[in-house]
Amino acid sequence: MAIVKLDNLTKVYDRSHGAAADSVSLEIGHGEFMVLLGPSGCGKTTTLRMIAGLESITDGTLSIDGKVVNKVPAKDRDIAMVFQSYALYPHMTVKNNLAFGLRRRSVPRAEIEEKVQRVAATLELDSLLGRRPHALSGGQRQRVALGRAIVRDPKVFLFDEPLSNLDAALRVSTRVEIAALHRRLGATMIYVTHDQIEAMTMGTRICIMNGGRVMQVGKPLHVYRRPVNTFVAGFLGNPPMNLIPATVTDRDGGRSVRVGEAVLRVPEKRAPASMPGSPVTFGIRAEHVALTAQTGEDTAEIAGEVVQVESLGAETIVMTRLAGVENNFVARVAGDADVTVGERCRLFLDLSETHLFDAQGQSMSTEPNERTA
Amino acid sequence: MASLKRSILLLILCGYTAFAAGPFVWAAMLSLRTTTEIHLDHFALPDPIHWEKFPDAWFNSNYATYFLNSVQVVVAAVLIVTIVGAMAAHCLARYRFRFNRLIYFVLFSTIIFPPQITIISLFQVLVNYGLYNSKLGLTLVYVAIQLPLTVYILESFFARIPADLFDAARMDGYSDWEIFWRVALPVALPAVATTVILNFILLWNEFLFAVVLITEEANRTLPLGIQRFIGDTQEDIGMIATGLMIAIIPVVVIYAFFSEKLIQGMTAGAVK
Repeated sequence: MAIVKLDNLTKVYDRSHGAAADSVSLEIGHGEFMVLLGPSGCGKTTTLRMIAGLESITDGTLSIDGKVVNKVPAKDRDIAMVFQSYALYPHMTVKNNLAFGLRRRSVPRAEIEEKVQRVAATLELDSLLGRRPHALSGGQRQRVALGRAIVRDPKVFLFDEPLSNLDAALRVSTRVEIAALHRRLGATMIYVTHDQIEAMTMGTRICIMNGGRVMQVGKPLHVYRRPVNTFVAGFLGNPPMNLIPATVTDRDGGRSVRVGEAVLRVPEKRAPASMPGSPVTFGIRAEHVALTAQTGEDTAEIAGEVVQVESLGAETIVMTRLAGVENNFVARVAGDADVTVGERCRLFLDLSETHLFDAQGQSMSTEPNERTA
Repeated sequence: MASLKRSILLLILCGYTAFAAGPFVWAAMLSLRTTTEIHLDHFALPDPIHWEKFPDAWFNSNYATYFLNSVQVVVAAVLIVTIVGAMAAHCLARYRFRFNRLIYFVLFSTIIFPPQITIISLFQVLVNYGLYNSKLGLTLVYVAIQLPLTVYILESFFARIPADLFDAARMDGYSDWEIFWRVALPVALPAVATTVILNFILLWNEFLFAVVLITEEANRTLPLGIQRFIGDTQEDIGMIATGLMIAIIPVVVIYAFFSEKLIQGMTAGAVK
């Protein structure tokens, strides 16, 4: 276990293209499972590779257990990494793949044998030790890659999108295995992914990145419920949060916004009073939009037209068009909802779950939040 | 229908095999006949079989020396060209540094020059350094002429090895030097085998540089030895064929040994 601290970590490959990772600051505690989440090119893998020692650090400091390791080579950081492509040595057997790192560290032969056997038993690789990687299935290769990291018993585990090459079913089971592994080892783990289900289900905390910068860090559900800006709001969640351009009106002391042709009153905790006429972005998640009548003082009703229906079995995603609004407005309703394309509908919005973002896309919520970039 | 297709395919393969192997079989038969017998009938079977021609060529025509010289020069040259070429290819494919592509281009562009252009200057260089008429001089020339092609073949193969593999080895604690020997080279073995076979065959049969740069009997290689059976007015075709058979044995052995890897090298990337 270890504490990994990133302090304004920056990586610039080419000055003309800006920073791949820009002043990334983050502290990952003992035994924490931190997930770096973001779209392709957001700098999450670059950050991970800097932690691993595979990329030089342009600026900032990286410390492990209080010791600055900026100039410490990868081999001396006591970190293990699981790669997206598994990166198994194709000319070696599974056993040799597992033992390769230990041999370099001059671990006695008997101890190597014992450790390899133990890890192989844990990951059910016993019968595969004599095989080469090309004779293994995708899932088996993934387990060998995991085993190669575990067998070294490192301070920190790094994962670079380790599930992205697996099929959907295997991805779910391997996800569960990695989460169980984290519970069992209690090791500090940093996991890079662009898959928000992985992030939400595995992470102790998640760090959302975009354009090389940290957007928000926090517990998965907290980040989901309290996005600090429109990027996080739109990136996390499937379907993404409805984000509609709106204008502050002079009603209710500057707490009502005009969304298309409707005027909606935003609860006080979600936004301070603003200057009438200010442009804002109104956000609400699809699960807080209903097609059946709702009661409650924070419920608002607006009219729309159904443009698309996606029945997913347990739930139905209904895309609607509001009068005076260009973007689709999405509602997530029960799987048995009877909705057809083209019909007029009434949408009931739970305004206590709305979000307002200012012209710069930052949340206007007055509720206390976890650290943001 | 399927059996008809198979028969036609078999017929074509047999025809091609006869076409390809025919000259070899003919040369093999000539090697067991005397020149007088050959002049009487070019295509007759060896009767009687003159096995004694092989020891005769080996002991009385100095083939033992030529063969040993060839082995020394070619094995040393192939060894050096493989190691140096693999290291250069690994660096050019793996590391980003200034003038990487320029170095690669300059190295590869030397392939376009026919050997006749460089041979006079090479001759002078070897004389100046006291390497003319020496096996070491010929070995170094062989290394120089085969290096560009070797780097070209290996570079493209090394470039296809996923970078993650090297990163994984770095995480496992290995240095760049160790990674080359313990990961890059074993993974690139099919391509390395390809260059070993190509270089071995080309250099084993090399004549032009050998005939210009070696004149001493003690340092001659096999192709020069075979040439000794060709006089101004006549040629001992029987002994030439025997010499050819002796010369061809190492090539067959090397090919048989490395052929599986050669096929892997040629088809690498074609099949997932």
